Amino acid sequence: MKNIFQSKNLFWNLTALLIFIAVIYFLVVPVSSVLVGSFQTEEDGAWTLKNFLSFVKYRTYWKSLANSVGVSLAASVLTIVMAVPLAFMVSRWNLKGKPFIIALSTIPLMLPSFISAFAWIILLGRAGIVSELIRSLGIPFDSIYGYFGVVMVFTVQFYPYVFLMTLSGFNSVDESIEEVGRSLGTGPVKTFIKVSMPLVLPGILSGTLLVFMTAVENFGVPMVIGEQKPFLAVQAYMEFTSDIGQHPGMAYALSVVLIMVTMTSLMAQRYYLRKRNFIQSARGRPEIKELRGWARRFATGYCFTVVLIPLIPFFVALVISFLEMRGPVIHPNFSLQNYSYAFSHMARPIFNSYFLATVATLISVVIGVPAGYILTRRRSSIGDGLDFAIMLPFTIAGTVLGIALIVMFNTGFLVLTGTWMILALSYTIRKMPFIARSSSSILYQLDPAMEEASISLGVNPMKTFFKITIRLMSGGIIAGAILTWVTTISELSSTIVLQTPGWSTMTVEMFQGILSDDMGMASAFASILIVSAIVPLLIIIGRFKEEGSSLF
Amino acid sequence: MPGISIRNVTKRFGDLVAANNISLEIEKGEFFTLLGPSGCGKTTLLRCIAGFLDHEGGQILFGDRRVDGIPTHKRGVGMVFQNYAVFPHLSVQDNVKYGLKARRVPAREQAERASQALALVRLEGLEDRLPNQLSGGQLQRVAIARALVIEPEVLLMDEPLSNLDAKLRVEMRGEIRLLQQKMGITTIYVTHDQEEALSISDRIAVMEYGIVRQVGKPWEVYVQPGDAFVAGFIGTTNMFDSEIKTSEGGLAIAQCGGVSFGLSRSDGVAQGSQIQIALRPEAITIRDIEEPVPDGHWVLEGEIIRFEYLGSMIKYEVGFSENVTLLVVSYDAEPAKIKNVGQRVKLSYPIERAKTFRKDRPQ
Ligand SMILES: Nc1ncnc2c1ncn2[C@@H]1O[C@H](COP(=O)(O)OP(=O)(O)O)[C@@H](O)[C@H]1O
Ligand SMILES: [Mg+2]
Repeated sequence: MKNIFQSKNLFWNLTALLIFIAVIYFLVVPVSSVLVGSFQTEEDGAWTLKNFLSFVKYRTYWKSLANSVGVSLAASVLTIVMAVPLAFMVSRWNLKGKPFIIALSTIPLMLPSFISAFAWIILLGRAGIVSELIRSLGIPFDSIYGYFGVVMVFTVQFYPYVFLMTLSGFNSVDESIEEVGRSLGTGPVKTFIKVSMPLVLPGILSGTLLVFMTAVENFGVPMVIGEQKPFLAVQAYMEFTSDIGQHPGMAYALSVVLIMVTMTSLMAQRYYLRKRNFIQSARGRPEIKELRGWARRFATGYCFTVVLIPLIPFFVALVISFLEMRGPVIHPNFSLQNYSYAFSHMARPIFNSYFLATVATLISVVIGVPAGYILTRRRSSIGDGLDFAIMLPFTIAGTVLGIALIVMFNTGFLVLTGTWMILALSYTIRKMPFIARSSSSILYQLDPAMEEASISLGVNPMKTFFKITIRLMSGGIIAGAILTWVTTISELSSTIVLQTPGWSTMTVEMFQGILSDDMGMASAFASILIVSAIVPLLIIIGRFKEEGSSLF
Repeated sequence: MPGISIRNVTKRFGDLVAANNISLEIEKGEFFTLLGPSGCGKTTLLRCIAGFLDHEGGQILFGDRRVDGIPTHKRGVGMVFQNYAVFPHLSVQDNVKYGLKARRVPAREQAERASQALALVRLEGLEDRLPNQLSGGQLQRVAIARALVIEPEVLLMDEPLSNLDAKLRVEMRGEIRLLQQKMGITTIYVTHDQEEALSISDRIAVMEYGIVRQVGKPWEVYVQPGDAFVAGFIGTTNMFDSEIKTSEGGLAIAQCGGVSFGLSRSDGVAQGSQIQIALRPEAITIRDIEEPVPDGHWVLEGEIIRFEYLGSMIKYEVGFSENVTLLVVSYDAEPAKIKNVGQRVKLSYPIERAKTFRKDRPQ
């Protein structure tokens, strides 16, 4: 502890301290006030267990927990089924167009899941195009509304987490390790199970936990396709904002339950990863099996099909946006009416989305990059605390964060509720950890000798940070910033809670459009969002291939 | 005149003492090597000298200027790293100019000095290349030029050759030595390769567990190892544990597995003490049984267990009792004189070449 305030470490320790204080002030305190609020009555703030008793008593409430967890678990299992074989084939077989398969697989993570839900309804809803088709074949089919739809959308949206992490696991199993296994007399299948699987398992599991966490906090999908079934994030939002009668106390209690679920799964993941050494030396490459002729074509076809299916809804949304619509009814005529409406009436939300995402991304970079640097290069007692502080936002669902920020910045010395700043703040809290993590992983791959060489040549550590470290990280930082921007413009779960007149965003407008059956407007916004996400994504894939790959 | 003085420097990582009360005096212009097995604290000591680590006790001086407490960027050290650490986004030329820019050297002079430095490491013509267009050997040359161009007071190199292939390593170490002599720059060189250390250094400090075991010229540490660790670490040595049986006049006799070894009494070993004997393979002469042996040699008789013919020399393994064998190197590789497996031979060595170390030496 003694050298925390030595001039050599002063700058970095102060930076760490500032980040630390910011996390406490903007995240820990607000969330704590939600926690406190859940034990108080709405009327006079007296201590009570009423909210939690209601949670146990009323079906809607406890069912919302069961639904959220159940649906997320089901989606987690299905993503394994979908992603692990895919990862195996991409890693170990000589498929054609592998880079395309991998690039395509990342797209769903970049696009809002509720757009996917919305477009699946266009296809498989009650009056869906495909639903009609199925019925015309004489097969009884209603729609995908309900649990099935939620699980399906989660699966096709979030499978890339498992796929990408498993893929890097399979890629890092050295051929020689497997050879050793085989030379000891075990057959290839048994070798795979006994030798390779344990090395890949951490990747599968942490990918799956990511799927679970993302699913359990998701707001948009159950809202759009869940058909009035209660889910935690949705229920908390309803109780907090309902026109009929607000129950903030109940919203707080539901938020606390949701935090407990996400915290538990994050703890489980950390605990699991700590016990295992995730990083294998990827010196060698795994053996690539040479498939020939039809086998190769078939396997390639299968993999492309799997990564393309999740993209269907986005394609559908794009097409629909150019058709004429009256409410939920689609007329198959080409038309730009949706866009002319969107741009004339809704220019403001478009601007808002871009503006807020840009501000939040810039702040996230300014804070996140030094944070990542401290995490990797200045590991000290403060660094450990910072690590924890930066993990925290991952455990707070967007809806809960929105509620907490409103409660905290409603009154008092800093009033942000009702301004655009509260939205920017929420986005920054949610995205900064990602920049910090990705900066830190870029730095892990950067030889510290590079910085030491600069210092030994007479450039002080501060200047070295800007002249060498930042410079060498820049590709990765830009790629990370673009990804952050892309995912920020499609943020819904905290936006929906925090939006204020004049500061509505594309996601909010689109969401309202879906709920009010204004499919035309919704699809136009969906398309604008999709294009806003895909274009930067293509830039990354094109320009920052190397650096970008370390971000997932 | 002192180049670098290290006085009672200690560095701990938690409970681990990575550098334990180290004192070294390095002459100006000297090529000084820290040699020792991996993990013995060479890098730690070097990084203390560079200022990347803060040591706990003691002092470090460059000339008579005390440098501990001065941050690295003001110490005026040139550093060369194992992984080259050439800035990938700068051309060869800009890499070399990097330190000059930091010193605000006028642009004209920068260009001049950079091209001189590049000529020195024989990289003319590659000025505008980017590092990813260079080979490992070339990268290390850029790193050396970059460190030398700032005319540092001391040059620190941490295993600069260990990423190069064997042939290039031998070639480069010769070049580094020549360059260093030409510039007369005080240099501390870190390596775990004893052959490299012997070939390149003015003096060597042999380290183990954060302790400097011995400091000396290459031939001193080789021929007069100060302790069993140094004897074992540098070169190949026959080493065994044994006990002094008799000690009379100028001669002590030690026994090990039923074999007696004659030792010089000057080592001051008393009867009954437990010792380690170190005997270099090339100190032993191998002879036919009936051949006479010069005075002052100790004689053993044994049987050839196996031999390795290496062209310029032959390595024999000679057996005595079941668990005592000696490695013997003979440079007399004339075919007629090669001994066969199973042949009985006479071995002799000058008794002063058998080094003894007391087993109860303090660790
Ligand atoms: N930053 C550090 N933190 C903890 N232990 C360290 C650190 N750096 C080195 N060590 C330990 O100190 C000892 C000496 O390391 P080092 O100086 O790198 O050895 P060498 O360069 O001789 O191989 C080793 O046991 C190593 O594990
Ligand atoms: Mg070292």
